[in-house]
Amino acid sequence: MSDAVLRVENIWKSFGELEVLKGISFDVAESEVKVIFGPSGSGKSTLLRCINYLDPPDKGDVYLRGVRLGDPDTDINKVRARIGMVFQHFNLFTHLKAIDNVAIGPQKVLGLSKEEARERAMDALRHVKMEKWAEHYPAQLSGGQQQRVGIARALAMSPDVILFDEPTSALDPELIGEVLQVMLDLAQEGTTMIVVTHEMGFAKSVADEMIFIDKGVIVERGTPHHFFTSPESERAQQFLHKLEELYGQSEEKRNTLVDRDA
Amino acid sequence: MMGAEPAFPNFNPLGIEEWLGELAAGFAMTVYLYFVALIGGFVLGLGLALARQYGGRVLSRIATAYIEVIRGTPLLAQLFLIYFVPYSLNAWFTPDGPPLLDVTWSVRIFGVTVLNHAIFSTLLSLGLNSAAYQAEYMRGAMASIGSGQMLAAQSLGFTKRETLRYIIIPQSFRRMIPSWSNEASYLPKYTVVATFVAVEDLFGMAKLIVSRTFLALQTYVFVGALYLALISVIAKALDVIYERTKIPGL
Amino acid sequence: MPTILWILLVRGVPDALQITFFGLAMGFGIGLILALMRVYGTEEMGWVAEAYEKVLRGIPVLVLIYIFTFGASSIFWFVDPIQRPIVGAYVALGIRSGAYQSQIFRGAILSVSEGQVIAARALGMTGFQTQIYIVLPQAFRIALPGWSNEYAVVIKDSSFASDVGVFEILKVVQNVTANHPELWLPSMGIVTLIYFVFTYPVTRYFGKKQKGAVGEFGREVIWA
Repeated sequence: MSDAVLRVENIWKSFGELEVLKGISFDVAESEVKVIFGPSGSGKSTLLRCINYLDPPDKGDVYLRGVRLGDPDTDINKVRARIGMVFQHFNLFTHLKAIDNVAIGPQKVLGLSKEEARERAMDALRHVKMEKWAEHYPAQLSGGQQQRVGIARALAMSPDVILFDEPTSALDPELIGEVLQVMLDLAQEGTTMIVVTHEMGFAKSVADEMIFIDKGVIVERGTPHHFFTSPESERAQQFLHKLEELYGQSEEKRNTLVDRDA
Repeated sequence: MMGAEPAFPNFNPLGIEEWLGELAAGFAMTVYLYFVALIGGFVLGLGLALARQYGGRVLSRIATAYIEVIRGTPLLAQLFLIYFVPYSLNAWFTPDGPPLLDVTWSVRIFGVTVLNHAIFSTLLSLGLNSAAYQAEYMRGAMASIGSGQMLAAQSLGFTKRETLRYIIIPQSFRRMIPSWSNEASYLPKYTVVATFVAVEDLFGMAKLIVSRTFLALQTYVFVGALYLALISVIAKALDVIYERTKIPGL
Repeated sequence: MPTILWILLVRGVPDALQITFFGLAMGFGIGLILALMRVYGTEEMGWVAEAYEKVLRGIPVLVLIYIFTFGASSIFWFVDPIQRPIVGAYVALGIRSGAYQSQIFRGAILSVSEGQVIAARALGMTGFQTQIYIVLPQAFRIALPGWSNEYAVVIKDSSFASDVGVFEILKVVQNVTANHPELWLPSMGIVTLIYFVFTYPVTRYFGKKQKGAVGEFGREVIWA
């Protein structure tokens, strides 16, 4: 089993007639940052939901540090507590303040006392630079701020790995930077991350491996260097080219921010 | 007259069948009360809705007050209020002697009493009551039509009245069908207040039958089922009308 | 005149409030269970709940009261026969309210965004925890306007209970004015005022905040 934190083995998933995932397999090692990218409809979000069994795969297995998620004896809720998830639309609990959003997991799922949970929550909020907004409600926060609280919520559980589902896709352009910066810091601290994103600057900067998925299969995988200098498959080439066209100059701008510590 | 009767295999067949004639008459009275109150309430409700939405400050306040009071008090109290007016006045002005106002009048068609003080009071109170609820559904529909259309119409040269007539009201009617259907479907339930003033509607007949046969459970359940059937038919009919008159985007 | 007012307030109002409270409480329990059945239960459970709602909404309150007081009073074998009519009325109002509150809660539960449920599960919360800490707290807040409307409906429906002997406001008026028919009009006016005082502030405060208040809540809660 090597020292893989997460092992995804031959995942298949269909919705009715539609086959969304067709035999996806990969490992994620300790402190690794995996970036998954590809055209929309390729099954990327579904893949993440399969990993923490929110949408169990039809075929295949997922192992977290050797524990098989599909095993009926496995307590799936306990496993989920060890896999963090950050959502495209934040999904904060709207009736709870930021601090409570972050503390509720540690308190109710991990069983910490109210004070311990609160302390952890404050640490997490500090980590994402949102400690000043602890007493605010999600409705009072901007998109970027909400997403950072979402990240803190995942961090507070001290998970083995964090899944990011297009974390910046729903954000206004000027807010993307603050979230990406947090994610960069996390990556550099050695957090094990799987990130589904279009943000190639981010990938270029911290990804250990990039996986290109199209129509439910892994078309190509390799380091960022590999993809950005000589991608092999035609589909990957086309896709990357389109992204470059679209983002064009703003890519450059973001690269200067991102390459700072590279 | 009523077409297919639901079958109740475990009920005493002799118990209710003899009374089908009475039940039919009661049913007819209920339906009569319902339609008159619905239509009367519609007309008045439309006026109230227009007054609230497009009337001046005074007019809309009056309309609002009317609606709030009607909706905030029981239908039964409203019925009693109306019904006992002549009795009260009689007792007040002519306590000993011939009554000031006659409450024994009646209007008959083919030997059937279609209007008397009790029926009139019921129709009036039901109609006034329903108007308040219908007005709210209409007003909601009117409000959902963007003010932009009013502006557009007026910039074309329509007067306010014309805009209402040709643009707003037609759209409102269609828009309010879903919510208005609720009132239209469930109003038959409320016709039972008629029994409090001795009108022989469906429920009144039920009480009569029970007093003769003592088959309380069957009779009331059967009659309850009749109300349910009536309501379901009306609701379904309105659904069909809604589907048939669909305009895209509305 | 003042005596009547006094009697109305002291005897009629508390009884009316009592029956209202009981009806709402019973309706709350039934409604919550039915709503959960409809939203999270199996398909069959959903049909049962829906059928319950349809039937209870389609029968006049008065008929329901009669069914339970005169038709089926033997259900309440454990209650002293003199009390049975009153219990019947209470139960009728309760199960009727359950049908309506089920609609209210179902709509409210469904309005809590699915994303939050997913997030809660992703944290590792069990389904039960998700309901208790995330969905229901928000659902109850969302349900308030519909609920305040239902309160008004039940308190008005309690007037029908007078027909079977429950000593609520209208019954008291009937008793008192039996010998003084000229007092009918004024005392009915007062009764109307009393009901209004109990319904309007609540529905105004908790009601749906729409342009010009008085939202689209009729006798029948329109929801989902």
